[in-house]
Amino acid sequence: MTEVKPARSGKRLMDYYWERLCKNRLSIVGLGFILFLCLVGIFGPIFAPDPQKTDFTIKNLPPLGFSIEESVYEISTGESTTTVIWGQPDHPLGTDSKGRDMLAMLISGARISLLVGLLATGIAIFLGTFIGVLSAFSGGWVDNVLMRFTDIMMTFPFFLLLVMIVFIFGPSLAIIVLVIGLTGWTGAARLIRSETLSVRTRDFVTASKALGASDARIMFSHLIPNVSSLIIVMATLSIPGVIMAEAALSFIGLGDPMSTSWGTILNTGQHSLDTAWWVAVEPGIMLFLTVLSFNFFGDGLRDAFDPRASI
Amino acid sequence: MQLKSETVLEVKDLKTWFFTRRGTVKAVNGVDFALRKGECLCLVGESGCGKSVTALSILRLFDDPPGRIVGGQVTYKGTDLTTCPVPHLREIRGGDIAMVFQNAQSSLNPVFTIGDQIIEQVMVHERISRTKALDRARTLLEEMNIPQPGNALKMYPHQMSGGMKQRAMIAMSLSCSPQILIADEPTTSVDVTIRAQIVHILRELKLRRQMSIIFITHDLSLVNEIGDRAAVVYGGRVVEVAPVEDILKRPAHPYTVGLIDCLPDISSQAKRLPSIPGNTPNPLEMPSGCPFHPRCSKVMEICRTTVPAPVQIDADHAVSCHLFGHERGGGN
Repeated sequence: MTEVKPARSGKRLMDYYWERLCKNRLSIVGLGFILFLCLVGIFGPIFAPDPQKTDFTIKNLPPLGFSIEESVYEISTGESTTTVIWGQPDHPLGTDSKGRDMLAMLISGARISLLVGLLATGIAIFLGTFIGVLSAFSGGWVDNVLMRFTDIMMTFPFFLLLVMIVFIFGPSLAIIVLVIGLTGWTGAARLIRSETLSVRTRDFVTASKALGASDARIMFSHLIPNVSSLIIVMATLSIPGVIMAEAALSFIGLGDPMSTSWGTILNTGQHSLDTAWWVAVEPGIMLFLTVLSFNFFGDGLRDAFDPRASI
Repeated sequence: MQLKSETVLEVKDLKTWFFTRRGTVKAVNGVDFALRKGECLCLVGESGCGKSVTALSILRLFDDPPGRIVGGQVTYKGTDLTTCPVPHLREIRGGDIAMVFQNAQSSLNPVFTIGDQIIEQVMVHERISRTKALDRARTLLEEMNIPQPGNALKMYPHQMSGGMKQRAMIAMSLSCSPQILIADEPTTSVDVTIRAQIVHILRELKLRRQMSIIFITHDLSLVNEIGDRAAVVYGGRVVEVAPVEDILKRPAHPYTVGLIDCLPDISSQAKRLPSIPGNTPNPLEMPSGCPFHPRCSKVMEICRTTVPAPVQIDADHAVSCHLFGHERGGGN
């Protein structure tokens, strides 16, 4: 017998994927921003001041380094005095029309957005995986029923449904998360079903069956691990949509009034766009960067997981 | 020649039909054979003759629907595998009867290491600790002549060569010491040296563990190397069963004779290899009577209408052909 020394024996598959991911700079930048956002979301609120605290003496302060001119018309003298207001180091990102600190609000918003994004996507992907794999594995009438149900769910206009349910049950984060999660699984279910259908016919599934594996074992140790890359990529790419949906809800005033999310800030900012532009621009930039980061990272993951993609 | 020993598996008049939109495919249409303890029985036949479906039917592994066992029994230790409940069947699969498939490349799960897969297989059937299972996996790989078994356990299928994968696959199927191993063309996807190794391993296993093997192949030279007895399958039926030596030297059924004539002979001066005229029958339109009659050179009137019943032409040699009707030993 000759000595066989494999080049990469014992090396985890994850290392290989990580290597491939690292070749895509944008996705690493995206991952970096996501990690930064996570840290801010987890630890930020501990250090930041209360985002709900109002102080009308310091309302509409511009961000540090910017200034605005404020004209005050004095009726008794008939003169108008113009004062230049500069941003203050106490409030580096300025304050809104009620004197709330923008930085504190953005930090709180990061927490809300990530929380909603991860939880709702988690529910959606869990349901999607479950329904997709079950449907593909069972086939026959189970497949038919589940997929027709998915079709029905898909025909509902998602946002309208969201608005309606929030309108009925009242705006709270839990409801928003649940509704997004319980309606957002359809695309995932379909994709995972089709991927599972192709994995199911692979020989190792029959081989495993021939060696006595139960249906559950085949699903959990053969089908799901073999579609896991798809699941991860889909989860990553569906988070931005969820974050946007939550922001949109908050923007039209159906967000949780007890919490400050980026959408809520945008909402308050739109009334004072002419006097305090930063109130709307800052959460806008955050949303933009967050969505972009998740998309870059998701794209990078998809390429890293795809054995045919050359990087 | 081997003495008759006890039968471990008996397949009787097994019929597996596939009900498709275009019609009923009678892939297995009345297969009979008995597998004895410690023997290697070869199922021989052309592609599409039903030998693989026969193997899959024993453990009920074909897709249902469209496939269904419409008749017959597969008796193992007094249980009829065609009707026994699935949980019981699951215990038998891999525990008592294991199966090795032709394509090791795709028969291993690409996302787990070989070690993980063997351990999983062991732990499906037996309640033993992971460390013990790992030990057994290492021993098994060693038994399969895989160099550095400890290292191989940590490898993913894509890091192994085709031969190693096939041997790992055999190791996996043997992990619970089955009584019967069904090998469905295990050597088609490997080169000749690996083929020789696998044949050697299987032969050794048979002797050492007193294991019975059902070896499915279309390659008669392989039958000669590994088999004790051979069953020639045609059109979903077993047409001839005999010890390998008899099959090769004294074939009785015209189909078997044709198959053996097709073997290239290095000493022969013929420019063109002989072949059996015609093709395997369209499974949707099986010929009436004997399925081989349209291609048979010795076809008689009765062949077109009546399916021949098996006739014993020797103590251990049965053939289903009208040529061997009532007078015994009329072959060749």
